[in-house]
Amino acid sequence: MRRYLSRKVLTYLLAFVVGVTIDWGIPHLMPGDPVQLYLSNFSLKPAGYAAMYKMMSQAFGTNLPLWDQYLHYWRGLLTGNWGLSFWDFPAQVSTLIFQALPYTLALLVPAITLSYMLGNRLGAAAARRKVLDNSVLPGGYVLQAMPYPWLALALAFLFGEVWHVFPVSGPYDPGLIPAFSWTFISSLLYHWFLPFFTVFLVSLGGWAIGMRNLVIYELENDSSRYLRALGASERMIRRYAYRNASLPQLSGLALALGVVVGGNIVTEYAFSYPGLGHLIFEAISNEDFFLLQGIFIFIIIGVLVANFIIDIVFVITDPRTRLGMQGGSA
Amino acid sequence: MNRDTKAMKTRQAGRRAARWGIAAAAVLILASASACTSSSSSSTPKTGTSPTSSSSATLAGYPRAQTIYTSGTMYSPPTTWNPFNVGNYATGAQGLIYEPLFLFDPIHNNSYMPWLATSGTWSGSTYTIHVRDNVKWSNGTPLTGADVAYSINLARTNALDPYHANVASVSSATANGNTVTVVFSGAPAYSEFQDFLWEAPIVNQAIWSKVPAAQLITFADNHPVGTGPMLLDTYSATQEAYKLNPGWWGTPQLGLSFKFKYLVDVLNGSNNVELAALSAGQIDWSNNFLPGINQLVSGLGGAGGYGISTFYKNSPYMLSANTAWLEPNTSKAPMSNVNFRKAMAYAINPAQIVSAVYGGIVKAANPTGLLPTLNSYIDSSAVSQYGFSYNPTLAKQYLAKSGYTGQNLTLEVPQGWTDWMAAIQVITSDLQAVGIHVTPTYPQYSARQNDLISGNYDLAIDNNAQLDSSPWSYFQRVYQLPIAAQQTAQLNWERFTSQTDWNLVQQAGTTPLTDTAKLTSIYNQLQSDFLQQLPEIPLWYNGAWFQGNNQYWTNYPSSNSTSNQWTPVMWRNYLGAMTSIYALANLKPAPAPSS
Amino acid sequence: MSIMSGPAKPGSPGPGDATPVGAAPLVAGPVSPAAPATVRRRSDLLYYALHNKKLVFGLGLELLFVLTAIFGPIISPHNLTDYFLSNQPPSAQHWLGTDNLGHDLFAEVTVGMRVSYLVGALGALCAAFVGMVLGFTAGWRGGMVDEFVQMITNVVVMIPALVLLIVIGAYLKTRGVPFEGIFIGLTTWPWVARAVRAQTFTLKQREFVDLARLSGRRAYSIVIRDIAPNMASYLFLVVILLFGASMLLAANFDFLGLGPTTTTSLGNIMNQSTLWSALQLHYWWWFLPPGLLLTGMVAALLIANVGLDEVFNPKLRAQ
Repeated sequence: MRRYLSRKVLTYLLAFVVGVTIDWGIPHLMPGDPVQLYLSNFSLKPAGYAAMYKMMSQAFGTNLPLWDQYLHYWRGLLTGNWGLSFWDFPAQVSTLIFQALPYTLALLVPAITLSYMLGNRLGAAAARRKVLDNSVLPGGYVLQAMPYPWLALALAFLFGEVWHVFPVSGPYDPGLIPAFSWTFISSLLYHWFLPFFTVFLVSLGGWAIGMRNLVIYELENDSSRYLRALGASERMIRRYAYRNASLPQLSGLALALGVVVGGNIVTEYAFSYPGLGHLIFEAISNEDFFLLQGIFIFIIIGVLVANFIIDIVFVITDPRTRLGMQGGSA
Repeated sequence: MNRDTKAMKTRQAGRRAARWGIAAAAVLILASASACTSSSSSSTPKTGTSPTSSSSATLAGYPRAQTIYTSGTMYSPPTTWNPFNVGNYATGAQGLIYEPLFLFDPIHNNSYMPWLATSGTWSGSTYTIHVRDNVKWSNGTPLTGADVAYSINLARTNALDPYHANVASVSSATANGNTVTVVFSGAPAYSEFQDFLWEAPIVNQAIWSKVPAAQLITFADNHPVGTGPMLLDTYSATQEAYKLNPGWWGTPQLGLSFKFKYLVDVLNGSNNVELAALSAGQIDWSNNFLPGINQLVSGLGGAGGYGISTFYKNSPYMLSANTAWLEPNTSKAPMSNVNFRKAMAYAINPAQIVSAVYGGIVKAANPTGLLPTLNSYIDSSAVSQYGFSYNPTLAKQYLAKSGYTGQNLTLEVPQGWTDWMAAIQVITSDLQAVGIHVTPTYPQYSARQNDLISGNYDLAIDNNAQLDSSPWSYFQRVYQLPIAAQQTAQLNWERFTSQTDWNLVQQAGTTPLTDTAKLTSIYNQLQSDFLQQLPEIPLWYNGAWFQGNNQYWTNYPSSNSTSNQWTPVMWRNYLGAMTSIYALANLKPAPAPSS
Repeated sequence: MSIMSGPAKPGSPGPGDATPVGAAPLVAGPVSPAAPATVRRRSDLLYYALHNKKLVFGLGLELLFVLTAIFGPIISPHNLTDYFLSNQPPSAQHWLGTDNLGHDLFAEVTVGMRVSYLVGALGALCAAFVGMVLGFTAGWRGGMVDEFVQMITNVVVMIPALVLLIVIGAYLKTRGVPFEGIFIGLTTWPWVARAVRAQTFTLKQREFVDLARLSGRRAYSIVIRDIAPNMASYLFLVVILLFGASMLLAANFDFLGLGPTTTTSLGNIMNQSTLWSALQLHYWWWFLPPGLLLTGMVAALLIANVGLDEVFNPKLRAQ
C-alpha cells in the first residue's frame, strides 16, 4: 500500500515537473524571438528599437542564458511572480488571471455540479422505467452531440435576439460599477445565465447517459441478482446499484472539475464572458505566451490534483483496484 | 421502510441545500471578485483633486442621460495611463488627460489648431513655442514652458520615448517663462518635428523627472496628472470611466464644454458583440469595425436608419484613415520586375473588394495611394498619364513582358483579420484570371509581422500609411533607405531601392513647410516616379470606423454638419492629436422621446 | 472543451480509468471465447442487429448524412466559389441562402460535411491506433511500464490541445485536413488508452490467458489473438464514439478560427457567420444549419452506438 502510494506520488511529481518544463518551453518553441515578435507590433527606428529590445528583454528575463531562465521560472512560480503580460503590457500575469478566475468558477462549477446531480437522477430514473428511458436516452444523446458553439449561438439567438430575455455578451451591463448592490448583482446574474445554461445542457446529457448505463449494468449484475434471490427489496438493490454506479461517475466528476480552471473556451468566446477560457483565447490570438504560461500552470495543477484524488479515492473505496494494481500479473 | 424514507428525505434535503448553496456561492464569488478587481482612483487623494459634489463611487452606476459610452479602442483591460506606452495606454490617456501642443485637423485643409501652444514660429534653425497661459495641471500646479521643454528634452535623451526620432535634429530646448526655444543642429527635419508638435504629449516635469529612465514605458501611471478636460474616475477589468475636470482651460479660453458628465470607455469583445451593443443602445459612440453596418445605416433610405449615424450619409460612410496596399517583396523575383508589378496592378478589381467584402464602407484608392485628405497634393496629370486601373487585358500584356515563369506565390494576411482574409480571396482569383498563381495564407499576426520585417514573404497586404498632414511620411514609408536585414522601423517593407527618390524624400524633409512651391514640385516628382515604378500597389482606403447611436446623444460628427465636422475617432493618435475633442464637445443630448 | 469518453468499464475501473462521461458499459467475461460459440454468436448478432431499433435508426440516419455529404456538392446547382448576391435567405435558387460574400450556402455546407467526416474519421483512427498500442502495452506489462505510460498519458491530457495547435500552427503557412485529423488523433488517444488498459487488466487474469502463457506463447501473440478479440466489440464501440468526439472537437477548433485554412468545414462556417455578425443581423440560415447538421451527424452515431452495445451485450437487451 505504501509502496503503491509512494510510486503514485513520484509519478505525479514527475508529471508536474515535465508539465511545467513544457509550459516554460512554449514561448521558446515558437519560431522567432518572443521579444522580437512583440516589438514587431510597434514602429520603431533602429535606436528606439535597440532601447526597447533591451528593456523588454530585461523585463521578461530573456536576456539570460536558457538555464537561468528556467530556474527563474521555477522560482517565480513558487513565489507567485508569474511575469508580465505582452498583450496588456505591463500588467502582471497573476493579476489578469485572478481577475478572470472568478467568472470561470462561477460559470462552470455550478454548471457541472448541477448537471451532475440532475443528470444522475435522470439517468438512474431512466434505468428503472422504460418510458423515461425512451425519452431521456435519445434526448441525452442529442444534447451531448450538440457542438458547444452551435448551442451557444442557438440559445443566444433565441433568448437574446428573438425573445430579448437575456443579454448575449459580457459579464454585466456596461457602465455599472461593481458593488454589492442589487442592480449590479442582478445584472451579473442576467449575463451569467446563458453561458451557464449552455454548459449545463451539454453536460447534462452526458451524465444522464452515463448514469443510466451504469445503473442498468449494476441492476443486472450478479450481486444484484443474489440480493434479489435473498429477498431484499427493490429499493435496497437500487441503492446499492446507485452507489456502485456512482463510483466511475464520481471519478468523471473529479476530472471534469479538475479541468474547470481551463475554462470553457468556446462558450466564453461565444458569449464574450471574461473568464479564464476567454483569457486563453485572447492570449493565443495575441500570442502572449507569458500569459499562456501562467494560465497553464493552473490547468496542470488542476488536472494532476484531480487525478491524484481519483486515485486515492479508488484505492480507499474499491478493493478490486488495490488487488489489481499492485504489481500486475496474477 | 420508515428509516429508509427518512434517510432518503434527509439526503434529498441535503442535496437541495447543496444546490442552493452552490448557486449562492457562485453569486458571491462573482460579486466579490468583480468588486475586488475594480478600482477607484478618486478614492486616493494623490491627485489632489477635490471630489465633485456627488462622489461617483457611491452610485450604482453612471446616470445614463449624463454619460456617453464609447468603444472601439481598448482591446485589453485598462492598466496603464502612461501616454508613452503608445501601443497600450487606456483610451483617453492622451486626449482626455494628457494633451499635445497643437491639434491636427485633417478635415479642414490639413490645418493645425493651437492647443497647449498658442503659436509656433520658425526662424532659421530655431523654433519658438508660445505656451498657453492660465493652464493648470489637475493637481493645481500651473503649466509652464519648463514642462514643454522637459517633454522635448525627454524625447531627445531617452531612446525609449516613442518620439525620439521626431526630435533627432533638435540640439536643445530651453524655457523662459511661457516661451520655449527649440534649437536645431544642422538642417532641421521640419516634417518629422511637425509630427512631434501634434502627436507628443506634454507631461509634468515635477512628476515625470522622478520616473527612472528605463521605466519610461513600464510606469503604469494610474493616477495620471494631466491638463486635459477629464479626470480618471474608476476602472475595472472591462471598462474605465472619466469625469469632467472642472478646472480645464478649454472652457474659459475656447468656449468648449461637454454636455455629458461622464465618459465610459468599454473593453471590446469581438465585432459582432459590439454591433449588438451599439444597436441596443448600450454604446453611443463606436469606433469598431462593424461588418454589416452599411445595412443598418442605409436601412431607412440613408437618413440614418435604425438611429445610427456615420460620418458620410452614403458610401463610403467612413472617413478614410489609411491606405491598404498590396505589398510585393521587390527584392525577390518575379516581384522585382516592374512589368510584373504592373500586371498585378491592372489585374485586380478594387471595386469588387469594396462592394463584396466591405459592403461599400471603404473607398477604392487613388493610384498614388495618397489619402483623400491629401487630395490637394495629388498630381492629377501624373495620375492620368501613368495611373493604373482595372484592365485584365493590359495586365496580361504586362505579364507577358515580365519574365514570369508560372511559379506559385504566396499572399499573406494576419490570421483573424476577416475582411482582409476575404479580400485576398478576391485578389487571388483576380490574379488567377490573368495567369498569376497565388495562394492565400493566413499566418498568425506576429509571424506575419516577422515575415515582413525580415523580408521572408512574396506578397502581403499592409496598411501602415496612416493619416498625416503631408505626403512626407507616406513617401518615407515607401522609399526609406538603407534597407536593413531586419526592417524593424516598419519602413520600406517592400525593400525597394531607389536612391534618387529617397534623396527627394530627405530633401522634402528638410524643406521648411512654408516653401510650398518647392514641396509641391518634389511631391509631384515622387508621385510620378511612384506610379511608374509601383513599389506598392494601393488598393483601397480603410476607414476611420465610426458609428453613433442617436438614442441618448446626437449631433455626431458628419460631413455636412454645421457644428460638428471634426474627427469622430477615439483611437490612440486621433483623440489626443486630431480634433476629436471638438467632436465630443459639440455633441448634444438627444431630445427626450415625445410619447 | 467537452470531449466524450469511451465506455466506462465497471468491471475493474481502476485508477486512471477516469472516464468523465460513461456511455455504454460492456461486460467482459460472460461471452464465451470458445470457437464454436463464436460462430453461432455471429449469426445471432446479425439477427439482433437487424431488429434493434436504435441501431437501425441511427445507422439509417447516418447513412443519409453521409450520402448528403458525398452527393451534395455534386447535385448542388452552384459552386462553392461562385459569387452571388450577399446575405440572401433560403429560396428556390439558393436552398440554404447565401453568406456575406455571396457564396451559396448549400454548396458550402455540403463540402463542409465532407471535411468534417474526413477529419473525424482520421482523428478516430489515429487515436484508436495509438491508444490501443499504448493501452495494450500498459495493461499487459503492468508495473513500471504501466506507470510510465500513465505518466505520458497524464502529460498529454495536461497540455491543452489548443496551445499545442497554436504552437505547431505557427510553423505552418497553411493547415490542411490531414493535419487537423492527425492532430486530434494525437491528442485524444488517452481516453482510448485508459479504457483499453483497464480492460486488458481484467482479461489478463482470466484462465485462458494463463493457459496461453503456460503453453509458451509470446506476449504479443497472446494480446492479439486472445485478449483483443474479446474486447473487439468494446473497441469497436470506442472507435465509433471517438469518431463523434473528433467531429465535435474539430468543430470547436474551427469555431475559434484554428481549423483548416485550405477548405471550409462546418465549424469554419459557424466561425465566419459569427465574425460577420450573422447573429446580430438575424441571418439565421448561415449559422443554424451547420450546427444542426453536425448535431444530427453525431447524435445518429451515438444512438447507433447504443443499439450496437445492446446487440453485443445480452444483459442490456433484456431491458
